Amino acid sequence: MLFTEVRGLPVLPPDGAGALGTVTSLAVDAVSWTVSHVRWRGSRFGGETALPWEAVRTVGPGAVRVRSAAATEPAPAPHDLLGRRILTDTGTGRGTVLDVAFDTRTARLLALFTTRGELPADRLLGLGDYALVVRAG
Amino acid sequence: MNELMAARSLTTRPVVTLGGDAVAQVKDTVCDAAAARITGFTLTGRGLLSGPLKEGLPWSAVYALGHDAVMIRGRRCLVTAAAMTAHRTHLRGRLLGARVLTEEGAEIGTVLDVVVEGGTGGRIVGFRVAASRRFVPGPTRHRRRVYVPRGEALTVTGRALVLPEGAVRHVAEDLPGFTALVGGVPGPRPGSLP
Repeated sequence: MLFTEVRGLPVLPPDGAGALGTVTSLAVDAVSWTVSHVRWRGSRFGGETALPWEAVRTVGPGAVRVRSAAATEPAPAPHDLLGRRILTDTGTGRGTVLDVAFDTRTARLLALFTTRGELPADRLLGLGDYALVVRAG
Repeated sequence: MNELMAARSLTTRPVVTLGGDAVAQVKDTVCDAAAARITGFTLTGRGLLSGPLKEGLPWSAVYALGHDAVMIRGRRCLVTAAAMTAHRTHLRGRLLGARVLTEEGAEIGTVLDVVVEGGTGGRIVGFRVAASRRFVPGPTRHRRRVYVPRGEALTVTGRALVLPEGAVRHVAEDLPGFTALVGGVPGPRPGSLP
């Protein structure tokens, strides 16, 4: 599934009640390259809440179903992957991230779609406040 | 040979760790006394009002000098700037404005900029020179800017660079021409596909 497809999906609680809010973004762990948190927002003016991936039961189709919305914690550093600048380890720019494909079952990133073509996930090196660093290939 | 770049264009280039964090930006380039290679960079902070940093970046800590960023392994690579710049030549202070002469004493011009090789080598490949009228004849108001390869046998005496006679036989008009002259790799054009 793609990050842009998940963005805007309603977050549904386990007891079948109405939607808690909508997904704003997915946070990525830069060591294991998996989705670590789902960030969502209750209302337009409410603050963002980060839900760890273990508390998510299923992602899609049409909604993100969670085990318990209570298990929230302070949001990690907001290094959003979408729109992020890409640098190779030789210091050359390689466009920006347009979209990311990930496995909805294991949360692993599969591929990145950038303004300069596709990048496999095994070339990712680091994600920081300035750029996403990839191995030059 | 890697991509060539003008040393003055390195100023304000961000210093980025392999983890993707920008820790500083380049303020000035420091090279050795023989003007053969880069020995490091002095740094300023990334913010709008942040001044020069007390830390400098030695060349041994540079992972790669690239077209868009200076890559380093981590934040711990930075050292005290005073230790690094002792007995070394600040580019802005010493090399820019230095006279370029041949061994026979013919004046070529004054240094405007220094051309360095990117990647991991950090070699100084040549100089951008405001050429004297005798070296590049032309109309009075014509701007005579040429790229002169450094060559192997360059000597620095005071504020003058002395080149052997053969080194100035071939000069280039612009940086792409100079890249072709010394056998470098052209840099990526904006918007080009890899």
